[in-house]
Amino acid sequence: MKARTGLAVAVAAGLALTLTACRGQDDEVSTDVGVTADACPSAVNTDNGCIYLGVISDLTTGPFAPLAVPITDAQKAFWKRVNDAGGIGGYDIDVTTYVRDNKYDPQVHNQVYQEIKGKVLALAQTLGSPTTAAILDDLKANNIVSAPASWTSGWDFEDVIIESGANYCFESMNAVDYAADNFQAKSVMAVHWPGDYGADAAAGVKVAADARGLTFTDVETQPGPDNQAGAIQEIVTKKPDLVIITTGPTDAATVIGNAAAAGYTGKFIGTSPTWNPALLESPAADAFRALYLQSGPWQSFGANTPGHEAMRAAVGNVQPNDGYTAGWVWSYPLKAALEKAADDGDLTRTGLLNAVKSLTTVDYEGMLPPEAGNYAPGGASAYRASVISKVDDTAPTGVSVVKDLFVGPTAQAYDLSKPCWP
Amino acid sequence: MTSLAEQTRTGAPPEPGGRRRSRAARGRPRLYLSYGQDMALLNTRPKRTAVIGLVILAALLPFSMPDDLLHLLALGFVATIGAIGLNLVTGYAGQISLGHAFFLGVGAYTAAVISGDPDGRTIGFGITFLPLWLLAAGLVAGLTGLVVAPLAVRLRGLYLAIVTLGLVFIGLHIFREWDSVTGGPGLGRPGAIPEMFGINFAVDGPAMTRDQKLYLLTLVLLLIFALPAANLARSKVGRAFAAVRDRDMAASIIGVSLTRYKLLAFAISSFYAGCAGALLTMVIGFFDPTSWNLQLSIEYLAMVLIGGAGTISGSIMGALFITLLPRLTRELPALMPFISDSVTDMPNVFQVETMLYGLLIIGFLIFEPRGLYGIWVRCRNYWRSWPFSY
Amino acid sequence: MTELVQTLVRGLGSGCIYALLAVGFVIIYKSMRIISFAQPSLMLAGAVLVSYLATTVGFYAAVALAALGIAVLALGIERSTIRPLVGRPIFVIAIVTIGIDIVVRVIVNGFIGLDVRQVGDPWGLKTVSIGSVLIQQRHLAMIATTLVLVAVLFAFFRYTRLGLAMRAASFDQEAALAQGVSVGLVFATSWAMAGALAAVAGAFVGTGAGIDQLTWIIAFKALAAIILGGLDSLGGAVIGGLTVGVVESLVATYQQDWAPWLGQNFAVVSPYVLMMLVLLIRPYGLFGTPEVERV
Repeated sequence: MKARTGLAVAVAAGLALTLTACRGQDDEVSTDVGVTADACPSAVNTDNGCIYLGVISDLTTGPFAPLAVPITDAQKAFWKRVNDAGGIGGYDIDVTTYVRDNKYDPQVHNQVYQEIKGKVLALAQTLGSPTTAAILDDLKANNIVSAPASWTSGWDFEDVIIESGANYCFESMNAVDYAADNFQAKSVMAVHWPGDYGADAAAGVKVAADARGLTFTDVETQPGPDNQAGAIQEIVTKKPDLVIITTGPTDAATVIGNAAAAGYTGKFIGTSPTWNPALLESPAADAFRALYLQSGPWQSFGANTPGHEAMRAAVGNVQPNDGYTAGWVWSYPLKAALEKAADDGDLTRTGLLNAVKSLTTVDYEGMLPPEAGNYAPGGASAYRASVISKVDDTAPTGVSVVKDLFVGPTAQAYDLSKPCWP
Repeated sequence: MTSLAEQTRTGAPPEPGGRRRSRAARGRPRLYLSYGQDMALLNTRPKRTAVIGLVILAALLPFSMPDDLLHLLALGFVATIGAIGLNLVTGYAGQISLGHAFFLGVGAYTAAVISGDPDGRTIGFGITFLPLWLLAAGLVAGLTGLVVAPLAVRLRGLYLAIVTLGLVFIGLHIFREWDSVTGGPGLGRPGAIPEMFGINFAVDGPAMTRDQKLYLLTLVLLLIFALPAANLARSKVGRAFAAVRDRDMAASIIGVSLTRYKLLAFAISSFYAGCAGALLTMVIGFFDPTSWNLQLSIEYLAMVLIGGAGTISGSIMGALFITLLPRLTRELPALMPFISDSVTDMPNVFQVETMLYGLLIIGFLIFEPRGLYGIWVRCRNYWRSWPFSY
Repeated sequence: MTELVQTLVRGLGSGCIYALLAVGFVIIYKSMRIISFAQPSLMLAGAVLVSYLATTVGFYAAVALAALGIAVLALGIERSTIRPLVGRPIFVIAIVTIGIDIVVRVIVNGFIGLDVRQVGDPWGLKTVSIGSVLIQQRHLAMIATTLVLVAVLFAFFRYTRLGLAMRAASFDQEAALAQGVSVGLVFATSWAMAGALAAVAGAFVGTGAGIDQLTWIIAFKALAAIILGGLDSLGGAVIGGLTVGVVESLVATYQQDWAPWLGQNFAVVSPYVLMMLVLLIRPYGLFGTPEVERV
């Protein structure tokens, strides 16, 4: 063991020497893991050094692969744009060398994380809550800053996790507030998948229902179109004015299509992973047009902010999908933190974490307001605004915004002193 | 007098005719001069030397290997314990079980509840003493196995397999719904916390990293679990298992109680599974209730079949192979630079990686019917008769 | 009463999907004495093929072509990977079929891509009303198609030479071989038929909401169906499949009111619970042949 440490120290010292020798710049930046003086493989700026970022996502057979693939692709495009603009502090950013598939399994996630952790400065993406929880202690112990790919309220309480946008909890509170104000909803039902995604949203629905005096019903449903009969039954018999639905697209189509076919006429509001533009070609399309609204942490793919335009230009000619939007937005805080750390002359892991803690604003190029990037510890600084969109056949992803970023009274008053759920 | 001492050690009865040398003649390892010697755990000198050598080698590994590989090997050792358990019921007693994942899960939750944080989100009693929660995990899983076993007494072959498959689905439902114990799907709970003699094995220490400690711990535990299993196989119980496997009706006619030995096989197998489940979550650190699914059961069955059914060393090889296979398939695409690493292309490296996993298992079973153990036996026989091998 | 009838019809509809898949499992089991875990991926492949073909040739032709295509795929799988394993322990073959499932599913997932795919069926979510009872057209279509397919299958096994050969081979492979039955042809036919049935089932799964990468899980419910009916009984598979569908639908509708303590979504596991209960009473399923032991 001692020998090993000795070797590591020797190697580190050697690296440091090479670094000083080769780079020979005036503004010396201190670095440790995942940053090299050598250029990235396939670098844009061959004179620059290289910052390696890891990506752990659900890329083949896991349940979130249809979202994870565009998220990962958008992040690649994001950092390529950063590199094309000269990189950060004399370094290019590499997010393609250490991409791993977690199959949405905590065990696999942990394994691939162990594989790449000694080679990356930070994680540009760690997808999923139970998967990220499997490596969270290690991330904290090693000060590895990570951008999550999920909107759980728990991330507001972790320094190493730099989330963007309102979490599911606030998003659902805003959705209920919106429906209470605009449709005079008196009763609300949360139809949701189990887990961080659905249950965090359901917790938010309950808070808002209590605050606004709506009757609340909780219906948990398992993934799979053949498993939705119970949820449909509950909707059709209890006839709530509003259903907040947090599932995947096919399940949503099954629930909404069948509920409408059975005569249900209330409103559905779904979170962004519930929606898929292809639903407009499904038999449930008419039901969606009549009954469905969509909430989201930011505007969808086709919006007109400078950030959205830059994203569409960067990802090129692709099938529009809000996975791209999410992957793109989630990358801004990491970019801001890297820039700050480079300015401070400390691109070590600790340096990057310190940079994150000191961030109070992030330039999202209009996709979110700058104050959304406030990473002061605790829930008080959490960003609470979300948007509501409606089905729109002409928009690239089939939805267009009806109410831009707003904070409802429930979310405004809510004291986020611990994660919403559990 | 030395020969007498040796006899006592190997437990062989003194033989008439003065041929009391019980140790094999040098150079003729297969020549046994006593029954006890034939049945000994390490019945030949090369075997003895090799096992000791391997254990020493394994014990030295953590000081020369990177942490991520140690982590993987530790997982492999734990998987071996589970695979040995499945091998006892499937390879030795011939009862095909697809329900192993359920027993792994039962053990995992028992251990996690006992050692869990009392102030946490999920139920926990904060008793982190390793032997205690390990034993409890095994016992609870073993008892569950006993409850399920009566089904096995009534059923055989594929019917048993599919009923145990149903067990996995029902278990999954219970794990999903019982939030206070399992944390609920998509959230999960932390794994068991291993503490013994004031050492917490699951955190980096001043002398050794987490993975080095866990590697050594799981290596020792593997030896502790493999030894009784190997012993069991050569005892009365083991022979009864084999009789039930080979022809249950014949076995019952010569007086082997089918009910009794099937129950026993299930109970012991579930005990091993429970321990393995608990240790698995200890190494991973965090787990989700949906982990205990059919795929996990199938992976364990693949370990037993690929390693070679009915052998302990086969279980070890099979478990290490299946655990290391994903890592291997992640390295292989690097040799095929023509495959795109962009996630939006098809085929991309991630798809190839997943397919290789399936293809390697298929290829293995088609081309090497007796599993890794078969390969090993062929190699051994080749060198044994060298230079006259053909 | 209206609710009950609607629930029953819905259950029969999804039960038909399970029945088609279960018949596929049973045909393979009868000819080779193995269970093919590759059926879920074949079902998904069939559904995806339909979704690609339907835009050009229409739904009905697409289903027919997809059934043909998946039958050929299943033939290829049988010939290349399963035939070399004949005579090996059944569980080795079962694990190999799981390997096949992984490989096929990764490829099919690639073709599904990011969006939900539609199979382009003519029924959608349209309903017909009989009195006060609302019934979805697609469920009626499923029931009708399944009835026709099952009738054809029974006629095939009863009246054709190949059907007779398959029955003979399933009864005693060696004796059939001695009588001039080509057992290889029997194996190949059984896989092709199972593949075609899986493709039709896949097309039906895709009606209503479309297909995505998670759709394959549905096929596992057919396992409960074949155990209920008995592994080697075609009629049992049909009845088992329908029973599973109806029980699941009844539980989904009434369990929250009558037995909420079973937890939400008990319907998802109800087929397996039912299966366990049946096996406790009849170890070889409702219609299976008890194994006769000769000492």
